[in-house]
Amino acid sequence: MAAIEELISLNNIVKVYPPNVLALDDVSISFREGEIHALVGENGAGKSTLMKVLYGLVPFNQGNIFYRGRRVRFQEPGEAIAAGIGMVHQEILLIPEFTVWENIVLGSEPVDQWGRLDEERARQLVGEKIQEFQFHLNPSARVEDISVAARQKVEILKLLYRRVSVLILDEPTAVLTPQEIPLLFAELSRLRASGHTIIFISHRLEEVLALSDRITVLRKGKKVATVEAGETTRQELARLMVGRDVLFLSRRKPQTPGKVVFKTENLNFVNNQSRHQLHNIQLKVHAGEIVAVAGVEGNGQFELVNAIMGLNQPTSGKIFVDTTDITQTEILERRRLISFVPQDRGKMGASLSAMVMENAMMTHHRLNPRFILWKGLLLNFNYAQIFTDQIVDRFKVILSSKFSPFRSLSGGNQQKVILGRELLLDNPFLLLDQPTRGLDVGSIEYVHEQILRIRQEGKAILMISADLEEIFLLADRIVVLYRGELVADLPSDKTNVEEIGRYMLTGKAIPE
Amino acid sequence: MIQKSINGILGIFTALLIGAVMMLAQGFDPLATYQSLFDFSLFRSSSLATTLKNAVPLVLTGLSASMAFASGVINLGQPGQLLIGALFVTLGGLYIDLPPILMIPFLVLMAMFGGALWAGLAALMRRAFNMSEFIVTLMLNMIADFFTLWAITNPLKDESAFSAMTPPITRSGWLHEIGAFNPSILIMLAAVAGMWFVFNRWNAGYEWRITGQNSLFARLGGCKVDRNFVSIMLVTGALAGLAGGMVVMAGPHRFLRGLGANYAWDGVMIAIVANSGLIATLLYGLFFSIFQTGALGMELITNVPSEIIVVLQAVTVLVIVASREYLNITLDRLAAKRRARERF
Repeated sequence: MAAIEELISLNNIVKVYPPNVLALDDVSISFREGEIHALVGENGAGKSTLMKVLYGLVPFNQGNIFYRGRRVRFQEPGEAIAAGIGMVHQEILLIPEFTVWENIVLGSEPVDQWGRLDEERARQLVGEKIQEFQFHLNPSARVEDISVAARQKVEILKLLYRRVSVLILDEPTAVLTPQEIPLLFAELSRLRASGHTIIFISHRLEEVLALSDRITVLRKGKKVATVEAGETTRQELARLMVGRDVLFLSRRKPQTPGKVVFKTENLNFVNNQSRHQLHNIQLKVHAGEIVAVAGVEGNGQFELVNAIMGLNQPTSGKIFVDTTDITQTEILERRRLISFVPQDRGKMGASLSAMVMENAMMTHHRLNPRFILWKGLLLNFNYAQIFTDQIVDRFKVILSSKFSPFRSLSGGNQQKVILGRELLLDNPFLLLDQPTRGLDVGSIEYVHEQILRIRQEGKAILMISADLEEIFLLADRIVVLYRGELVADLPSDKTNVEEIGRYMLTGKAIPE
Repeated sequence: MIQKSINGILGIFTALLIGAVMMLAQGFDPLATYQSLFDFSLFRSSSLATTLKNAVPLVLTGLSASMAFASGVINLGQPGQLLIGALFVTLGGLYIDLPPILMIPFLVLMAMFGGALWAGLAALMRRAFNMSEFIVTLMLNMIADFFTLWAITNPLKDESAFSAMTPPITRSGWLHEIGAFNPSILIMLAAVAGMWFVFNRWNAGYEWRITGQNSLFARLGGCKVDRNFVSIMLVTGALAGLAGGMVVMAGPHRFLRGLGANYAWDGVMIAIVANSGLIATLLYGLFFSIFQTGALGMELITNVPSEIIVVLQAVTVLVIVASREYLNITLDRLAAKRRARERF
């Protein structure tokens, strides 16, 4: 049974997502009071699922959980919070129109004797909490006006306000810039000093080593090991995570870029609220060059992608591919020149309920003459099958049948089909919007290899990414989007993560 | 496929069971009632032919709704499109007279044209003013209802008749029974086969289906989503119009008051039960026709009111639609449990 010193112990947890995805396979793990415990593992290793099991968000099939010596099984997060366990999710779940204090008290507001919200007392309570934990927040600011890092603090404070003693943070650094991460870590260390227990999920090894006391590695639903942070190295953790040695080296060979393939001229996009979403974007991508757009999410990346793909008409300015002005053309015409890998496979990149084959042939069904019979009236489904087999072979897709629904493929294999489809269009320009988002290390390596290969073939590549490690691994040039403006345009070998981070955060090279 | 069949059989069986309980509660004999129901819809001489003929408007309007829903278009204008199709056939049959070999195809085209025109009006409103086809097709149903009523009580009224109806259309436009079977059955089957082919083999059909599943993906893939929307409206309108044409040509051979009955709404219901599958629409359409055709015979033989059929239909729909998702979830959960137990 649970040892006394363990605050929380999860024993032999098995979770199968219906119908038969084994997400957690006999995982046992324990957390001690007052420690920072990191959970690391690739995407799909089961980190988040394990924590959701503890938190009562996801029911589990086998095993048991002990908390403070008592067997528990939370049916919903409310019960976990009442018991003192709180979780901050990857997506921030606040009401943007509400102020900081309103968001914090929401759900357990102080009330007067008539049951009305006691605004003064609420402000005072929130103010005290901010003081107590030194969070540097303005309680009266509206959440939509504050930075992502500050919103995260609000999420944490919201739990502390509910007197939670165990904090679970799911990938808290994923949305932060390099400069904000140490600040978060300092706050977490202070929380540990005041007796809180912190469990944090991450796949970034440096952070894990810098912050935590103990580290548990999960791989493919199984626990691999729990190690003391002081007694391990990045290399060892990576090997535990992936199951083999991982190279952290760039294999990008120097290459002289060719002519300009993609170009924007004074691109502006103003949305309905008449705020500048894109302001005078001047961007050039040459043949054989990878240009990365760095930036905190929500600084105009979405609008830029939509303008290039033709989902939104820019307010002014022009977009050229291969000297053709595509600013006003139909999407199908653009697709003769642009290959596009979107960030959200299920929303923009595929139809999850359609067959693999039907997803593989999209766009080709209009542009590739071999698909077309009877002047475009009929589709050549025999050729569609041959074509799908080609993608499956060339891009090493693992699937049960090309007629099975797309959703039955793993994320990595879905991305391979999408990448294969877009690469086989053989277009001079590629727009990659976070091409490795949500993939496991093996698939990420594969996608990176493919991107470098097409760079070698002399294609022009514009890549939008939130991952600076990926950007420095692949890009020849890095531009930074800050509040809809391009604030930096630097060759990747003449800059560093810190400099790009400063641009992302402040829009300037030197912070005031 | 197997799961869908289980789902359907389960739904029908449950409906019959609940119907039986209701009849017992009111002192009727359910076995005798069901015997007469199926006798008069399937096993008596020519009753099968009647069932098939009655299925024509159900299947065609159901097909219209299924194709629209599967393509992400909310065309709920089948009642209106059916009436306008019937009106166009009546007009063609009253003023034009050709030999049957030309007249019948001509009237079929008129019916489809009428339905497509009415649906096209809604498509136009969407394209021009961005009005949701959902509400516009519903409203156009009312207009079609009263417009056709006006047409048959005023300009097209048969002066010798006592109630609102047009004179009969020319005899060369009638669909006469061949043996016991009405040729409209063949036209229905051809429509189902044709639409299946369009949906599964045409380039446009592929785009329609993908748009119905994920329209943003289809748009980014280069599908002309707006143009496809108009095509789907026109095609599904034509199908509903064809249903109206078949009712006139195979049935009373004239437009009379209440001609559209409840065919089109039943068709929409069938599409929902069939989960917008084209072949499933055909099968459920035939099945609902068994209920509806048998009901009349049942009322003749037994004391059970034919309204019981409405109850049977409603229960069938509810059970099938409710159990569809639930069956999936339950089967998945059971599989997950089995997998989890294997770990120990």
